[in-house]
Amino acid sequence: MANYGMLINTKKCIGCYACRTACQRQNNLLPDEAFIRFEEREVGTYPSVRVEHVPLQCMHCEDAPCVSVCPTGAAKYGTDGIVEVDQGRCIGCLYCVAACPYQVRVRNSQTGAVDKCRFCTVAADDGTKMCSCVEACLTGCRIFGDLDDPNSEISKAIIETGAAPIAGDLTKAKIYYVR
Amino acid sequence: MTFEPIWNSIIAWYLFLAGLGGGAYVSAAFLRWRHPEAVNMIRIGRVIAPVVVIIGLCLLMFDATAGLHNPLRFALLLTNFGSVMTWGVVFLGVFVVLSLIGAGLDLAKRNVPLWLDVAGAVFGVCVAVYTGCLLGVCKTFPLWNNALLPILFLVSAMSTGMAAVLCVAIFRHPEEFNRVGVFKKFHFCLPIIELVLVASLLFVTASNASPAGWESVMNLVGGDCALAFWFLFVLVGLVLPTALETWLLFFSPKEFEESRKAHWISFASDAGVLIGGFVLRLLVLIAAMPLTMVVPWY
Amino acid sequence: MSENAITRRSFLAGSAGVAAAAAVGFTSFGAWQQAHADEEAGEGRTEAVHTLCNACSSKCGYTAYVVDGKLTKLIGDPQNPNASGHLCARGYGYSQIAYSKDRLTDPLKKNAQGVFEAISWDQAYAEIAEKVRAIIEEDGPDALALVQDPRPSGSYYAKRFMTALGSPNSYTHGAACNLSKVSGITQAIGAGDWVSDVENSKMTMFIGRSYCDGIRPSQVAALERGFENGAYTVMVDPRCNNSTVFASEWVPITPGTDLALVLAMSNVLIKNNLYDADFVAANGVGFDEWAAAIAECTPAWAEEITGIPANTIERLAAQFAEAAPAASIEPSWRGAYGCAYANSGETARAVALFNTLLGCWNQPGGALLTSSAAAGKLDDPRFAAPPKPEGTLLGTKEYPLAAASMGSAVFAGEMAKAGVLKGMFFYNSNMAAGYSNPAYLADALSQLELMVVCDVQMSETALLADYVLPETSYLERAELPEFGGGKVPYVAMRSQVLDVIHPNTKSCDQIFTELAQACGVGEYFDFTQEELANAQLKTVGLDVDSLRLVGTVQFPEKAFVYGTAPKWNTPTKKVQFTSEACAKAGLSACPVWVAPQTVPEDGAFRLVGGKEAIMTHTQTANIPELMNIAEQYGLDRPWISAADAKALGIEDNDECVVENEQHSGTSKVRVTERISPGVVYIPSHFGCTVPEQHTAYGFGLRIMDYVPFHIEPAYGSAMTQEATVKIKKVGA
Repeated sequence: MANYGMLINTKKCIGCYACRTACQRQNNLLPDEAFIRFEEREVGTYPSVRVEHVPLQCMHCEDAPCVSVCPTGAAKYGTDGIVEVDQGRCIGCLYCVAACPYQVRVRNSQTGAVDKCRFCTVAADDGTKMCSCVEACLTGCRIFGDLDDPNSEISKAIIETGAAPIAGDLTKAKIYYVR
Repeated sequence: MTFEPIWNSIIAWYLFLAGLGGGAYVSAAFLRWRHPEAVNMIRIGRVIAPVVVIIGLCLLMFDATAGLHNPLRFALLLTNFGSVMTWGVVFLGVFVVLSLIGAGLDLAKRNVPLWLDVAGAVFGVCVAVYTGCLLGVCKTFPLWNNALLPILFLVSAMSTGMAAVLCVAIFRHPEEFNRVGVFKKFHFCLPIIELVLVASLLFVTASNASPAGWESVMNLVGGDCALAFWFLFVLVGLVLPTALETWLLFFSPKEFEESRKAHWISFASDAGVLIGGFVLRLLVLIAAMPLTMVVPWY
Repeated sequence: MSENAITRRSFLAGSAGVAAAAAVGFTSFGAWQQAHADEEAGEGRTEAVHTLCNACSSKCGYTAYVVDGKLTKLIGDPQNPNASGHLCARGYGYSQIAYSKDRLTDPLKKNAQGVFEAISWDQAYAEIAEKVRAIIEEDGPDALALVQDPRPSGSYYAKRFMTALGSPNSYTHGAACNLSKVSGITQAIGAGDWVSDVENSKMTMFIGRSYCDGIRPSQVAALERGFENGAYTVMVDPRCNNSTVFASEWVPITPGTDLALVLAMSNVLIKNNLYDADFVAANGVGFDEWAAAIAECTPAWAEEITGIPANTIERLAAQFAEAAPAASIEPSWRGAYGCAYANSGETARAVALFNTLLGCWNQPGGALLTSSAAAGKLDDPRFAAPPKPEGTLLGTKEYPLAAASMGSAVFAGEMAKAGVLKGMFFYNSNMAAGYSNPAYLADALSQLELMVVCDVQMSETALLADYVLPETSYLERAELPEFGGGKVPYVAMRSQVLDVIHPNTKSCDQIFTELAQACGVGEYFDFTQEELANAQLKTVGLDVDSLRLVGTVQFPEKAFVYGTAPKWNTPTKKVQFTSEACAKAGLSACPVWVAPQTVPEDGAFRLVGGKEAIMTHTQTANIPELMNIAEQYGLDRPWISAADAKALGIEDNDECVVENEQHSGTSKVRVTERISPGVVYIPSHFGCTVPEQHTAYGFGLRIMDYVPFHIEPAYGSAMTQEATVKIKKVGA
């Protein structure tokens, strides 16, 4: 039983949106249905300025507000620490969308149901070895892996970089950011 | 990075109608207690309650498009008792049943048992509080995530429920309308309480640790929502009814109070309360800004 | 990660190809409940096809996964040197062009009322051929011209068609892209480009080019590796572009003054004797003349022009000298001096000479003159070239330095207006919206007796045409092999991924072959695309079937070797610090300071354009996946500096009027610290005026509307940034 999480190194993110469009193709999403959103911050003033791009997606929280508020049980804790949406149970009330502090749940305008990052991971012989955003990232910002395995790449990287969830301990989020 | 409100006017109508329905049944129960002779007004309250709540529920189901396409999924609504919405479904379900029975018995000129009215009123309060708690548990929005909002919605729900009963009574049963003084005085107090609650809500929200609180309050008092907030909610919904009723109840001569002219003034005041009640829900939905992760939403 | 974990994850993921996976023996991937039930009901046959992306000119190789005939995911091919295992956002998004609701589906003819009506291919060919014959009879084949943004098949077939007709006038989009850069560099070193070995360098300077905005994945990777290896990377740009994430330093510069910076840095190297004198002596011609000519180009002088402090220029030059020969200025592409200013060609020339001062050619970490793979000579007489046209490419006389492989397409526009050109063909080119002032070009192209546009969707250019020929999307056609260069030369090939979606669309090889037949020159097209591809591949020991299996084949035996003595393919066989051709063209023999033509008057801003990572020119704006990003994040907004905005009382997202003598438009603006004061940036992708493009139409400003029609002396480029604009808050 694994406990999957991700690390995103914003110091290497160039804000190119490749992860977003790759994810849309991998997961067959609608054009306006994106599992990854971005916040961009300018640090400093001209000419001593730098830009920080922060991709945000489902944090697969251990204390997930979406799961708490979902009236039908469509939002649920799956195995391996992955928060799931059971599309067949979702009524599209959007309560989870309102409850998610990260604003990363989206309604599919065709089905009316809510969806979000699935930590999609596909068998090696189908080309993608990792979540499509991890594979697609041009600069290797992202590491996916088992947070409970102290020897996993991600566990080591979190210690090494001091990565932390974007909103501290708000929801026990499992995406760690290097900023 | 623009933020689109998650819920729009359909949900505002739902929150408004659910609260109004709860308030209407509470009104009926209150009238039975203090003005048992106002049998027609009691009936009005009992009838309004299930009708508006059912309309509200239809709107809710219409907005939940995935459920609308697969209606059987609504049966799943009773699976997660950790969810406020599940409790809301329970409250609404029980309330609709109770209020339908109450209205049915009344219309059939049969005796409505006291326990039914008490239970209906209790669940009416539950429904009203639920509309506030529904938003209140969303930590994402400082404007919602506080203990004041459910109370504000409860007071507003009672106020709009009473206003709805009074509005109908003015035209259908003016003679009863003239005689429900205690009811009217209670109704008079509610907008004043609301005013205090809204002011507290704004102060508390604006001082939230996240800029989202301040942004939400600014949306209301100075941003896109400001005109609706100050004119429709504060002026039309709270100040005007308070001013008109103050004059009618305390300063106008008794004979004027029962004149047709005064009835029209009362009607204007009650209509104002209803408008304010809806606008309050709508503004609370669309003015609320979510927590900021890196940069503020706009 | 344990074996168990992988299985577990496999189970959880994905949706599109649940049954598909089983059919081809993939580990089952996905029980995402009821996600895409309709697809699960399909046959579930998955095919994986190697092809080449068409979202920009990089043509990255990738594997397309097709489930039950529908494109699903795309994965960059690791063996393709451009993709290096990745695609950019555009690549994933632009794949949806195949399914666009706005595709052209039938040949169109503009009727007497100016309205397009669908006609048959036969009628289109017959009528076009009739008009071509009439023009040739009346004015000769020189009155015909072609403009295209080259793609593997198009660059062969479209050009061969023109040659067969006897016209020398084949142009690329270069005049609005990299014509000045290629032409200027060629004057100095006899080649049009080099590869800056950033990943192994100690210092690399980028001028107006951002690998992380105009993305080729392998270049992003090289930049990142270089930065992580400790290379001192410098971004010279009026904007703090997204590549500054991997930059040691952002050097903001006044737009159009890069030449002054390069001359001043050269001046420092020469004055302080910090340059590689031995290399210059052995390889250069005219050095002393240039050194004397730029003796006054001191850092202090350049500070006045560029806005870069003199001590910064001095320091950068010294750092370069310290880092040499593992240092270079990157050759850039379109950005600052591909086609932007009156001094663009000369800037390119100076950059090449600066690198020569560093002695960095072919040195590890320096500027590498790599070679490209190419098909050998084809023996089959069917592939023999048509007779060389008698005339010369129109514009050769007026713009003698313009690379002949590109020509000045904007001059062709001027010639259409003048009535010299009577018939024009456009392939994969939206000249009317993207090359220069659209109002001028619309007027110019309207003068033509015959205008034929071949494209996949209606464009500003197609709207002006008499005939519009619908092409299959790039996913529905195979193309000729693409021979490419770099550290390891390669050949890659676009294979057909999808069945043709709209039955009445055709691939470009078919269209030009049939056009040629209708025009009576079919004898030069007596072969199929696959026969030609096979013949070309045979010369490098491959064939279509084998290349199709892998997508890209590299030729390691032809790989670049550090330290190879460069061959200077100039008339003097040396690095030309002085160029006779430049002198003959009316320029200084050696590159000296040339000011940009446009000086902003009081209150006006210099206008700059540039790519965003999600868009290519105007061709991707109608893709909903990509446009949705632009809408969500306001990527169409012009940038204005925080300081200027404050002075003008403008706040972020305020609706503003952007205007100059050419045009006036309104848009929300982005107020940012990431741009030099005095500069306004408008992204180059928006402002589509084609109602048939339902996603792109009417969104954002079109930068070219603000650019007057004019042509860079000697080099023939469109001077796409010689413009100023004023900006004010709406109502102010």
